Amino acid sequence: MKRPKIATLAPKIPTASMADIAFLLIIFFMLTTSFSPEKTSVTLPQSEIRTELSKDAAIIAISLDGTLSFTDGEQPAFPLATYSDIGPLVEGMVAIVPQKEFLIKADRGVRYEMVDSVLEQLRNSGARRIGLLTDRRVVREI
Amino acid sequence: MADIAFLLIIFFMLTAVFTSTQGLQFAFPKDDPTQLDIQPEEAIHIKVVGEEQILVDKSPMTLESMEGYVVMKMGQNPNKPVIIQTLPDVPYYAMIDVLDVLKGLQVTNISIPTEADVERWKAFGVFE
Repeated sequence: MKRPKIATLAPKIPTASMADIAFLLIIFFMLTTSFSPEKTSVTLPQSEIRTELSKDAAIIAISLDGTLSFTDGEQPAFPLATYSDIGPLVEGMVAIVPQKEFLIKADRGVRYEMVDSVLEQLRNSGARRIGLLTDRRVVREI
Repeated sequence: MADIAFLLIIFFMLTAVFTSTQGLQFAFPKDDPTQLDIQPEEAIHIKVVGEEQILVDKSPMTLESMEGYVVMKMGQNPNKPVIIQTLPDVPYYAMIDVLDVLKGLQVTNISIPTEADVERWKAFGVFE
């Protein structure tokens, strides 16, 4: 009896759905990417307890060399010359949104005096909700 | 088509900075200079004087012994206020470490006076 000849098929990877997958990934990354207006590079202090702070909060960054920058959460950050520049900006924002949250993004090594000056400005300008940005602490340093 | 799609994927992957907006939260008290919310003599007064150097109610402690002390005090009065005073020359993270421990202990009544507050409170005899 003659065995029927089995046709050998060349292996193929179906690529028809490739573009679909690609677009799915594009949409995923487009939706999850949030462009932070604050790009100052700082080494944040670490803490075990971290709560989610509001995404549209204003951010005041203090870098290790003491330079200040400010963003209202939407516009790109701009540098500030002195601490007293914070006051009028904050007052203007609190007048519109009284519950506006202000985040302090300070380098872990800055002298506390600088953070203190910013807090003083915030408080005197009527800010109520304050957040201190931190990184997650993986292992507790003892 | 797929090339363009992958180009865009790579672009978004590289620019996707997973921004972290997590940290420690606190609120300033209502601005009423005539009324001190905190009864100073009842509060736990933590003074951060240096890296890993803290004075809790004037006695030097480590973060661990401070934790025990605060737990003991909170057991007596769960609403006990805690004042964190930090000296100007101390690095910021030393104060965050203290605040982190207190937040971990679910202390709700944390007060972080600014230098100007400390000066003002001195008039009331809170700090010397």
